[in-house]
Amino acid sequence: MKRRVFAICALVAAISAGRPAVAQDEVYLKVTSPGLTRVVIAMPDFLSRPGTEPSAASTLLATLRKDLGETAVVGLVSPESARLVVVDPNNPNLTRQRWRSVGAQFLLDGSIAGAGNQLVLEVRLWDLTSGEVAYSRRFQGTVNLATTMAHSLANELIHLFTGKPGPFLSRIAFVSDRSGSKELWVMRWDGSELQQLTSHRSIALSPAWSPDGQWLAFTSFLRGSPQLFIFRPTEGYLKAISTLPGVNSSPNFSPDGKLIAFAAGDGGETDIFAVPTEGGTPFRLTHTRGISTQPAWSPSGRQIAFTSSAAGSPQLYVMDAEGTNVRRLTFEDKYADEASWAPDGVKIAYTTLVDDRFQIATLDLRNNERTIIPGPGSNESPCWSPDGTVLAFVSNRTGGKQIFITDQIGRPRQITTEGNNIQPAWVALVQ
Amino acid sequence: MSSLWNKLFLVCALISALGLVQACAHRKAVVAPEPQAGSESEKVASQPAEKGTTTISPEPRISAAETPESAIRAGELPANVEEINKAGYLKDAFFDTDKADLRPDARDLLAADASWLKDHPTVKFLIEGHCDERNTEEYNLALGWRRANAVKAYLASLGVGADRISTISYGEEKPFATCHNESCWVQNRRAHFVVTAR
Repeated sequence: MKRRVFAICALVAAISAGRPAVAQDEVYLKVTSPGLTRVVIAMPDFLSRPGTEPSAASTLLATLRKDLGETAVVGLVSPESARLVVVDPNNPNLTRQRWRSVGAQFLLDGSIAGAGNQLVLEVRLWDLTSGEVAYSRRFQGTVNLATTMAHSLANELIHLFTGKPGPFLSRIAFVSDRSGSKELWVMRWDGSELQQLTSHRSIALSPAWSPDGQWLAFTSFLRGSPQLFIFRPTEGYLKAISTLPGVNSSPNFSPDGKLIAFAAGDGGETDIFAVPTEGGTPFRLTHTRGISTQPAWSPSGRQIAFTSSAAGSPQLYVMDAEGTNVRRLTFEDKYADEASWAPDGVKIAYTTLVDDRFQIATLDLRNNERTIIPGPGSNESPCWSPDGTVLAFVSNRTGGKQIFITDQIGRPRQITTEGNNIQPAWVALVQ
Repeated sequence: MSSLWNKLFLVCALISALGLVQACAHRKAVVAPEPQAGSESEKVASQPAEKGTTTISPEPRISAAETPESAIRAGELPANVEEINKAGYLKDAFFDTDKADLRPDARDLLAADASWLKDHPTVKFLIEGHCDERNTEEYNLALGWRRANAVKAYLASLGVGADRISTISYGEEKPFATCHNESCWVQNRRAHFVVTAR
């Protein structure tokens, strides 16, 4: 892990050397309803210059096509359609028109060059309407980073089109019992590059990422009672951050990374507390009756959503970050828990109960409109992707508890298979 | 030498296990009168499943859960904590779905627990709060904590010193029964006693 992160950092440094030709704040498309509006890109094979490691070049292209093909934002011109396009080097206008005739709005062309251990990728994205270069970029790194290079390029293209970070280098932390006890694990968002983070042989629960992706907060029974720990996966560094009597559960980092909100309580009731990430005395934010749990900071850091049983059943509430101005958010649900605040701050995904089964729902905070995303089995623990276009969640639809990823047009994909896998927490790899 | 002791212990365990079947039937009738149990579960049966059944007395995890009344009165506690726990002097309290309120049957059992605890004032113990799997993991951790503390508060109100009691929540993490229907859930919604000092 350590070496890998270092390698990625090295690549990022290399990438940073040449900024993109297009201003980062220029956004080509406002994706308001994912799946309905797609940018169609033609991506013929890149030119592979002599001396390039053939497997590295094909890995790079395959990874890039897979990444782009998986998003709801981008559509790729099919190879069949692409074959119909006859490229005329002497008549760029005609060539552009031909690409447009097969549905393409953009053309991504590029070249891969390599010498020895090094790989250089140069790409240009042509706007087929204006005929101008919308984006150009040069990536350089060692051959073994071909995949990371492709993910970085895909991320930048998504950022260009949506203004949001792409998911392709993002990581999902989760809890799995596949080793015989509940431990923390991490994987790439598509389920690959799986890695076990803890081997405590205790019970680990509720992983939450720091905003920079460097720390995980979680609950563990390591020392008997459920206490709150922070953990730095790259170094294996572990530190207890709250050891209040009773429970210390469901941590969530503030967007500036300075505080961790969590649930704790002596004497039976639980309330929302916060503790400085650097360490310090936890302080209490809520004084509600019954159970309060599952705090979730708003992306602005100004509010915290949480679950409370004050009204009899678990319902979502929201308060100002100081603990004041508490108000109820959900009224239509028999049960509402596990709020996850979308990165745009407009929606909250949560777990509701429909016909005795958990289902994922979203609440639009602008109009209080509730949308249930129905699926087979019991579905819980929703968690937004860093770009806010997709949700990870847990379902027992295939037997056992497994992590799925869906988008809002309902194409769930199972990304874990072994053991039970719960409580996904998704973070972008911060550069 | 030690093998002889083992054999002796085995024989004793067997004898007490045999005596127990009878005691079990006897005690159950006293604690939870049948007519009440029947009417309650009928009432519940017509309601949605998540309401849960209120009066089924599930089989405890430890099968040798009962001890002859005479032994309890005589205060003849086994020599070590492990044996005390195996004997199961303290009866677990069971809960309705998503609730931490003590049901009448739980209060009856806990009253008996309290009187035993007062007869054995040196005993210290842990109350574990447990939940079925039908809430989220995090919510269940809080719910189990509430259950353990509801039992602690009730025992304290009956005169059991709070300094003898510790509490922990395991939420849904350590289920007593692992199937995915009410027959298991009803067993997992409980406050479980573990004696920690003799």
